[in-house]
Amino acid sequence: MSTEAGTGVKRREFLKILGATGATTAVVGCSSEKVGKLIPYVASPDNTVPGVSQYYATTCRECATACGVMAEVRDGRPIKLDGNPDHPMSRGAICSTGLSAVQGLYNPDRYRSPMVREGNALKPTTWDKAYELLAQKIGEVKSRSQASSAVFINQHESGTFPGFLDQWLSAQGMPAHLSVDALAPMQTIAANQRAYGASWPALDFNAAKLVISFGADFLDGWGHSVPQQLGWADARAKLEGAPRLVYVGARRSLTGLNADQWIAAKPGSEMEICAALTGAGTMAAAAEASGVPVATLEALAKAVTAAGNGVLAICGLTTANAVECGVMVADINKKAGAVGTTIKPAAGHAGYNNLASYADLAGAVSSMAAGSVPIAFVRGANPAHTMPKAAGFAAAFAKVPFKVAFTSMPDETAQLCDLILPDNHWLESWGDAVTVQGQIGMQQPTLEPVFDTKATADVLIALAKKDQALAARYTAADYRGWLISQFPGGSAAFTTALTKATISGSPLAGTAARTLTATPSAPAAGAGDYFVHVYPSPTLGDGRGANKPWLQELPDPVTKIAWQSWVEVHPTTFKKLALVEGQHLTVETAAGKITAPVYRYMGVRPDTVAIALGQGHAAYGRFAQNVGINAYDLLASSWDAAGALTLSGTKGKVTVSAETSQLVTTEGSARQHGRGIGQAMTLAALLGQEAEEGGHAEHDIPGAPSQDFKAGLKSPIAADAQGEYANPNGKDTGMYAPDHSSKMERRRWAMTIDLARCTGCSACVTACYSENNIPTVGASYQGRALSPTTWDERPGANIIKGREMAWIRLERYYEGNENTENEFSPDFDTRFVPMMCQHCGNAPCEPVCPVYATYHSPDGLNVQVYNRCVGTRYCSNNCPYKVRYFNWFGYGEPERKQYAWPEPMHWALNPDVTVRGKGVMEKCTFCVQRIREAEHRAKALGRDVQPDEFTTACSQACPSRAIVFGDAADENWTVAKLAYDRRAYHVFEELNTYTAVVYLKKVNYPAPASPAQA
Amino acid sequence: MASVVHPVREGIRGPNIASADVQLPAVRDYEQVDRDIIATLGFTKKWFMGLSAAVLAMLIGASAWVYQIYWGLGQAGYEPPVMWGNFIITFVFWVGIGHAGTLISAILYLFRAGFRTSIYRAAEAMTVFAVMTAGLFPIIHIGRPWKFFWLLPYPNWRLLFPNFKSPLVWDVFAISTYLTISTTFLYIGLIPDIAVLRDQETNPMRKRILAILSLGWRNSDREWRHFAKAYLFLAAFSTPLVLSVHSVVSFDFAMALTPGWHASIFPPYFVAGAIFSGFAMVWTIAIPMRKWFKLEHYITLNHLDATAKVVLFTSMVVGCAYLIEFFIAWYSGVRAEQEFFWNRVFGQWWWAAWIMLLCNMALPMSLWSQKLRRNPTWLFVLSLFINLGMWFERFVIVVPSLSHEFEPWQWGSYAPSWVDMAFLVGSFGWFFMWFLLFVKQLPVMAIAELKEIVAPRVKHGHGGGHH
Repeated sequence: MSTEAGTGVKRREFLKILGATGATTAVVGCSSEKVGKLIPYVASPDNTVPGVSQYYATTCRECATACGVMAEVRDGRPIKLDGNPDHPMSRGAICSTGLSAVQGLYNPDRYRSPMVREGNALKPTTWDKAYELLAQKIGEVKSRSQASSAVFINQHESGTFPGFLDQWLSAQGMPAHLSVDALAPMQTIAANQRAYGASWPALDFNAAKLVISFGADFLDGWGHSVPQQLGWADARAKLEGAPRLVYVGARRSLTGLNADQWIAAKPGSEMEICAALTGAGTMAAAAEASGVPVATLEALAKAVTAAGNGVLAICGLTTANAVECGVMVADINKKAGAVGTTIKPAAGHAGYNNLASYADLAGAVSSMAAGSVPIAFVRGANPAHTMPKAAGFAAAFAKVPFKVAFTSMPDETAQLCDLILPDNHWLESWGDAVTVQGQIGMQQPTLEPVFDTKATADVLIALAKKDQALAARYTAADYRGWLISQFPGGSAAFTTALTKATISGSPLAGTAARTLTATPSAPAAGAGDYFVHVYPSPTLGDGRGANKPWLQELPDPVTKIAWQSWVEVHPTTFKKLALVEGQHLTVETAAGKITAPVYRYMGVRPDTVAIALGQGHAAYGRFAQNVGINAYDLLASSWDAAGALTLSGTKGKVTVSAETSQLVTTEGSARQHGRGIGQAMTLAALLGQEAEEGGHAEHDIPGAPSQDFKAGLKSPIAADAQGEYANPNGKDTGMYAPDHSSKMERRRWAMTIDLARCTGCSACVTACYSENNIPTVGASYQGRALSPTTWDERPGANIIKGREMAWIRLERYYEGNENTENEFSPDFDTRFVPMMCQHCGNAPCEPVCPVYATYHSPDGLNVQVYNRCVGTRYCSNNCPYKVRYFNWFGYGEPERKQYAWPEPMHWALNPDVTVRGKGVMEKCTFCVQRIREAEHRAKALGRDVQPDEFTTACSQACPSRAIVFGDAADENWTVAKLAYDRRAYHVFEELNTYTAVVYLKKVNYPAPASPAQA
Repeated sequence: MASVVHPVREGIRGPNIASADVQLPAVRDYEQVDRDIIATLGFTKKWFMGLSAAVLAMLIGASAWVYQIYWGLGQAGYEPPVMWGNFIITFVFWVGIGHAGTLISAILYLFRAGFRTSIYRAAEAMTVFAVMTAGLFPIIHIGRPWKFFWLLPYPNWRLLFPNFKSPLVWDVFAISTYLTISTTFLYIGLIPDIAVLRDQETNPMRKRILAILSLGWRNSDREWRHFAKAYLFLAAFSTPLVLSVHSVVSFDFAMALTPGWHASIFPPYFVAGAIFSGFAMVWTIAIPMRKWFKLEHYITLNHLDATAKVVLFTSMVVGCAYLIEFFIAWYSGVRAEQEFFWNRVFGQWWWAAWIMLLCNMALPMSLWSQKLRRNPTWLFVLSLFINLGMWFERFVIVVPSLSHEFEPWQWGSYAPSWVDMAFLVGSFGWFFMWFLLFVKQLPVMAIAELKEIVAPRVKHGHGGGHH
């Protein structure tokens, strides 16, 4: 710059000297050291700016849904996944499982290179040697003409790869692969195929007036969580004319807790209820079989009639008769004329089309057991964990002479293999997926592989190239090249397609469509007093989530238990068995038994015990191992007419063990004690048809509430360094007054949370962990010292001590059913309340901090300055909402035992957010880094921040769109409008905290008094 | 050495705690006072054993601190939402104990309560050491103790000052002021006695140190006049501090909106509790001391009787405060308060509350009996119960309140860990280490003041001095 000319040393010269000296020092100082990768780029691509994120559109492969996601990449490394707002199906939302994918990518326990079995151990090897060995083994198999007996088990996925794989297998003379997915609702798919001719019709909640879910946990993980949840929440948000949800099943799942009515039918008896509703059976027989009063069923039948073609009946049962029941459930829809209205076979999801059934897998296992399988391949699937012990997978697998795993995590199945060719994570791979019919989602790598891994498709191509007979068929250098060569429009179209959320089209290589059907195996013989209900965990699924600490730490949305397995029994059963809290129960079926601590849950039938899948890993990395029990051990290897494994409804015995262990729960009291935290009103009250029973009457803490809570958003600001506007009766409206002369901001960042939308799924919690570098504290290595020499190594030990760090938590309160210890009643209401720092205008935490570590920012944020905090924790004591979290250990300090991000997991840390050291307090910041980023961007562009331009991580992820963030002082923002809703309230308003978080009351739809309301 | 002569019972009236006429009938002359008090300074084997035990306990606490600083506060038993625990409980406990000394030495001085003469030095030393102990705990308790100085208003280029709205900052001032004044007061009172020691000392090194510490005290009339003025001034100056320190400590709780804390009765309630626990600690120390150091004819049963009346009175004040808290919780109509107070006595922490009520309200009622007021053994046993009860009072204030706040989802529990216990043990070690060192270096009774109440022998006609 010319203005700098004439000074002694020119800036550039100075920098040159600095650079030269620095480099010399570095070279001299580090010459003997191994060179480490400090930053991912030496020469960065042209369009990257250090410190500025880039976003890559790709497709999530954590489940069969295949939502569109945006990978936020900073300096070459993905740090967070967000929903892709342009994606027609997921519309910018994302679930906890999807968010946690980065912890699968950076999992410290992944295979870091190819491995080969030497004796009993797997030893690292090179890719060249691995290729050579595999080519040799395949050659041997082919030379013995046994190739047609090979087995390839792939974790189910849609898109081109399955077809590509089948082509490769057939070129090798091997049969098509088995596309298995232990989480796939095969019973529903089979019933859909029979009843509608489509494996997954679209569910239109918006068109529905009455939804009857027969164990279809559409908010828990059954089917396609995110799109279903979006549809459901949008439908419920209509309030007037919103669908009423009736849940039929032995256990009230998360979906069940969101239902307006629970019909607690015995497992397996749901079909009788269907029969009664369709007219194929009688009410009396149904009541007799299901244990549900006739009146309830008759009311349901009336409601079905009243709803007309607004009925949406769905079945997600996993009992032995689930397929038959599913077909009968479809009859309810057909009879009501709802097909095409609420349930649309033509518009559904195509991601399940080539799914293999459990029976198919069991068939492969019996071939292995017979010794006729010469070579087996496994990729991603983990049958050693997700098949019941009774299926004898491990023993059968051991009989296969050579076993190859393309799995990237050392799971139970991979550990049994002879050769590991670790696959890239999907965030490191090319690919595509089918989402909605006729649409393809593209998948592109977002970074160089973290470890020495290779995409399986690339490995297959490389192997083919080594085989002279096959080389001609694979001319492309790698799978990307192969995709481009097949892509309509070639390279240019391919590149364009990558920037889009989805494109029209179909997979580039097809697979034979399968219909799920099988001859049912003999029903499992069971004896005992209790029905055993095994269900997939909403957070861990069939166990595949267990290696990700975010998912382990995320409390189960229903029971609020983390890092543990538990057995759910009804409080009456608990009393009958004279149990104490956390006492171990042994559940035993004909197939096996498990022992886990008991959890009292009033949402399960007294004659049923429920156990979640997901835990009990013998391998699968440090976060999964030795946590809980594997509920698959309870199951017989028996399948139904869909070939699906029967999870629910077998009979079992329950015995009480003398042992107890503390439940790893985040729940304090499950009751609100009349404190009005999660408030609700009936639709009739909202419409003014009846008096509001909630309101302030429900809110039993008297006091002087602010005259008008809107003022809480608009005017008073902390009685702190910034001014004296806290006096609610003061005439000075403070910084928001138009003529206010100080240099303060005019904004008031605020949030509304619509409890009529919130389903309690907890995706916001995981999003917050991901965005804000919140440490997980429950791993077994993170405990405290119980004595100078012994450490508490129970998984979740810190959570037992109440030390979880979730800045946002999902409180789950029950209303009603107070006498649950003594009698069973299915009628209770659940309130899910996301609770985070309320950013009080008049914050109790601020005046008590002796060092101003927490104070009020001019734009209404309650700010926590980690560097200034000395850790008196007074702020937390004085916080009525209890949303402040303390760093009890050095979770953020790599040299400490309790470090939460073992290398390379720390690669996913958000560089915009400080990693907190031990001894400081932390809490929700309203994603202040995003606020500042938006402000800086606006300033750089010379404009103002636009309404709804950005949002917080929780709000961005929320699959029910319950959380809205923005500037409450500017009415152009959505949040400013919502805050004036007539359902709006502040929690603990009487404490004069003037919170920035406004809750909108839940709306309940009690059993209809008149048919019109059904 | 004079034989122990028990004072004559003064009938039903007993010694009047507000009168200055408590006499020492068994003490014959000034020389005996010098002899008896200086005799307590001799080192003994038992003393060494006691000191070793105290130092060992102190080291246990110190190593726990190093351990805790290394690992983080997670090693203590904190269980959110109970963010304050043993450290704050023990802090308030020691601050409370630190009250009796200044009350005895200053307020009772102003009121001319004669019974203070024999016990005030020990009580004052106890105060200084108790406050020194208490002062450690807020530092131990914070997450980043190495940043403790940020609570002090020191000039810095960032222009960052502490938040004067925070009761914790008030604490810093209240406690440091109190420590300064009570140390000064202790020292000023010691000057004539140090001069006595100096005159008796033969070791030249020690003599030199004592000479400096005695500020060249020559026992002149002019010095005595100045001394009396200074002493009176400091007594007047300390008197409001006795009330203010524990009032300020109580603000740590009362200024918060936590149910169970947010009460305007806290300042008088805390002050009364502090005096109550302070007198109990005086007993815990003075009763064995008068026996071991053979000071029964200085700390007479009349003295103990008088202190017992103070304890009885403050026990009733404290008990009244307990009951008023329940009344106010009911009267306020605030459901969170009501639920909390119900929970306090019948909920998960019922045992702690009942220990408190038994030790602080019920057992001291025994002091209505003059027989028990004059029974040193009973008073000693009672003092231990009161110490326990007062520790539990602070436990009941801190832990159940925090574990049962507004937000039911975050209701929790608390259990101290072995690290907490190490600190508790360490605090007693630290306190007794200082006290034991003190009793062998400096007189535990005010020699000069004792002489004031010993009838002078006519031959040596001039007042209050040694040669």
